[in-house]
Amino acid sequence: MTRPVTVGARVLELDAVRATTLSNGLRLRILAEASSPTVSYSTVFQVGSRNERPGITGISHLFEHMMFNGAARYGPKEFDRVLEGKGGHSNAFTSNDLTVYYEDFGAEALETVVDLESDRMGALRLDDAALEQEREVVKEERRLRTDDSVFGLMEEQLESLVFQAHPYRWPVIGWMDDIQRISRQDCQDFFRTCYAPSNAAIYLVGDVDPDAAAALVERFYGALPAGPPLPPVAAGEPDQRGERRAEIRFPAQAPALLVGWRGPAARSPDAAALDLAQVCLAVGEASRLRRILVHEKALVVSVQASFAWRIDPGVFLVSCELAPGAKVAGVERALFDEVARLGARGPTARELARARALLRSAVLHDLGTHHGLAQALGQAEALLGDWREAGRTLEHYEAVGAADVKRVVARYLDPALRSVVTLVPGATR
Amino acid sequence: MSRGVALPPLRRERLASGLTVVVASRPGVPLAAVRIVVRAGSALDPAGRFGLAHLTAAAARRGTRTRSGAEIDEGLEALGASLGAGVDEDAASVGLSAPVEALPKVLMVLAELVGAPAFPTREVARLRDREVAALAHDLDEPDVVADRAALVAAYADHPYGHPSEGRARHLATLRRGDLAAFHARHWRPSRTTLVVVGPVDAEATLALVRRRFGAWRGEPGGDVELAPPPPPRPAVVVVDLPELTQAQVRLIGPGHARGSAAYAAGVVTGSILGGGFTSRLMQAIRVERGLSYGARARFASGRAGGLFFVSSFTKVETAGQLVQVAQDVLASFRSQGPSEEELVRVRGYLAGLHALSFETHEAWAEKLAEMELYGLPADEVSGFRARIEAVDAAACRALAEQRALGERPLVVAAGPARSLASQLAPFGPVRVVTARSVA
Repeated sequence: MTRPVTVGARVLELDAVRATTLSNGLRLRILAEASSPTVSYSTVFQVGSRNERPGITGISHLFEHMMFNGAARYGPKEFDRVLEGKGGHSNAFTSNDLTVYYEDFGAEALETVVDLESDRMGALRLDDAALEQEREVVKEERRLRTDDSVFGLMEEQLESLVFQAHPYRWPVIGWMDDIQRISRQDCQDFFRTCYAPSNAAIYLVGDVDPDAAAALVERFYGALPAGPPLPPVAAGEPDQRGERRAEIRFPAQAPALLVGWRGPAARSPDAAALDLAQVCLAVGEASRLRRILVHEKALVVSVQASFAWRIDPGVFLVSCELAPGAKVAGVERALFDEVARLGARGPTARELARARALLRSAVLHDLGTHHGLAQALGQAEALLGDWREAGRTLEHYEAVGAADVKRVVARYLDPALRSVVTLVPGATR
Repeated sequence: MSRGVALPPLRRERLASGLTVVVASRPGVPLAAVRIVVRAGSALDPAGRFGLAHLTAAAARRGTRTRSGAEIDEGLEALGASLGAGVDEDAASVGLSAPVEALPKVLMVLAELVGAPAFPTREVARLRDREVAALAHDLDEPDVVADRAALVAAYADHPYGHPSEGRARHLATLRRGDLAAFHARHWRPSRTTLVVVGPVDAEATLALVRRRFGAWRGEPGGDVELAPPPPPRPAVVVVDLPELTQAQVRLIGPGHARGSAAYAAGVVTGSILGGGFTSRLMQAIRVERGLSYGARARFASGRAGGLFFVSSFTKVETAGQLVQVAQDVLASFRSQGPSEEELVRVRGYLAGLHALSFETHEAWAEKLAEMELYGLPADEVSGFRARIEAVDAAACRALAEQRALGERPLVVAAGPARSLASQLAPFGPVRVVTARSVA
């Protein structure tokens, strides 16, 4: 079966998605797609580090680990053992806004997966031994990704500069002290509020009969009780009144630079325009920053930009690894000049067409697997409030003009609104 | 258990120049995956010129007789295409993803940069300097440091015994002429396979490739057959990174070549020991002791030979404990082999992963190129499940006894040497090296 695609327009046949909500509030979206005999099953809980508070930062992520430690029908160590034996694999991730569990497997294993997932949503076991063991695993994860990682240290510092009040100011993995402090009671409270079916949605994409799959989900999840509403998030953030700076000293081999600006929320119409700006600036060899900083001036070894869509206004990031001998001040000047130029004049017609073409390929690529489709539906609903948005991405990109890119760069990537972290190679103690 | 995986309809042809072309027509997103592999990997780097194969592959896109590097970048990206190039020990590869309607144009650019790169002096010098600088940044990645040190310690003087990206001090000496000579000698149509996969018309695509690549000529031959690498010697090597809170740990034993009869048993054994969440190492290290976030094991196989690798990491204080736990897991597997329950589970797991791994055009392009590169049988994909089913406990145990780590493996760790040296002393005489020595 060839997936219907129209150039520059919708990339998903949205009418083919069967969307229902169980009486306990659990949302279910099924897309039958038989191009390969596989299924992707994704459960999205609308909770992430955004929903935490100081003292228990990192609990969303630590809890994600606890979900693999046994429930009622399947005891400790059984989840992966059963799934892997059936030819599937599972993993999960936590972000600032969400916690997502997924299984990718051969179509025959669907009932087993529904059984496994509904078991742990309904009756997770939370014991002290499992908590202590996962706590140690998460501490190792933090050492790996942050404490011993130059970029991890810089990113953690940057987010704490960009956000002074909003929960985005602490890292998703949490502060080490908090990881150490979280108790089993904290986990139990968290499970009761955040992991109820009313705070979850299932995205099921692949070689399935949608009616039979829906009946299966109803049979296994239907009796779970709805939960209380999630406490509101204290999402306020004061206006920034000038550039913010921090320095990281670490015995690294070479300097690096990380710059961030607070961007729009995912739901803002400006988000798509900022994606186009990101591609103009630093995606591909012909992007402005790569062309100038890497190829022409040879100031940096690499430059990257990212703008991850979030529920509340997130961060537009630019990172540079410096060439030996290059001075941070010189790199900053060249970088900021180029950003200012894009904000003053906007992209050329050619740059805009290039950015649209690259984004179109990227979106098509993402939708090329059952896993990618399930993730796209889930992210669209969680961040934008409607799974249908997964099929409208290219329309939004097509609608962005050069004036929009110019406007969002001038507005969000303002010198007075930036935060800058520099890595200074040197002894830590 | 999932249904098996079958090859999509293929057209395969060897052009008069010796270039092998494979076109697979399959439905899906309207992007084409193109992959070109040339038997010109880092094993062909001359002594004192480690990184030459890598730099040649990376520099090929920096200009041809008719287009500058900037024009190539701009031309491809304007079409929505993305291009990457790199090497491993056996081959250089160029991978490209582009909208299907852009194929006629992108194949024109690809034919030029593969067959007639100009290696402009200025571009080569800049790229070389950037690669040298990138290696400095790599030294700030503890896992990269450990992997580089492991490769050197395991293969010693064999042509596989240096990282494919090369060494900073060697790269720094390379000039345009070195790249041009390496290209002329090793990048020949007879040593190259070009694969196109996507919702394309196979005949028309084949005709297009014939037209675009027809002008690329080169003498056949020039193959260099490598001797198999010697088995790694037991040793303990510590790379000193005094500021770290965590140690990256590798245990290394002998492996086998990609075309070896032991390959399937290696996949099964590697998976039981260190693939997925239920593997023995993951259970012993992460689930039962909370020593690490992850632990993996696998046989890595090249054309001439390979290695068995265990990779993990843990806080500095428990590095010695982690090595001991891994050793115990391997010893128990050597003496008893896998259980029937493990074999049944891993067969199901591998069959399922196999089906999942062929959802994209890129995955097919990579597999089809690999089949040509290593001369794998036509039933490499469709026969995978039968080969895995045929691996029994005796085969795994025999493999473990022969290859998967003797009682004294090669241990490589990256982290604070003072603490690591004392913890690892029980596993053999410890040699401490600096991070710079692996750059």
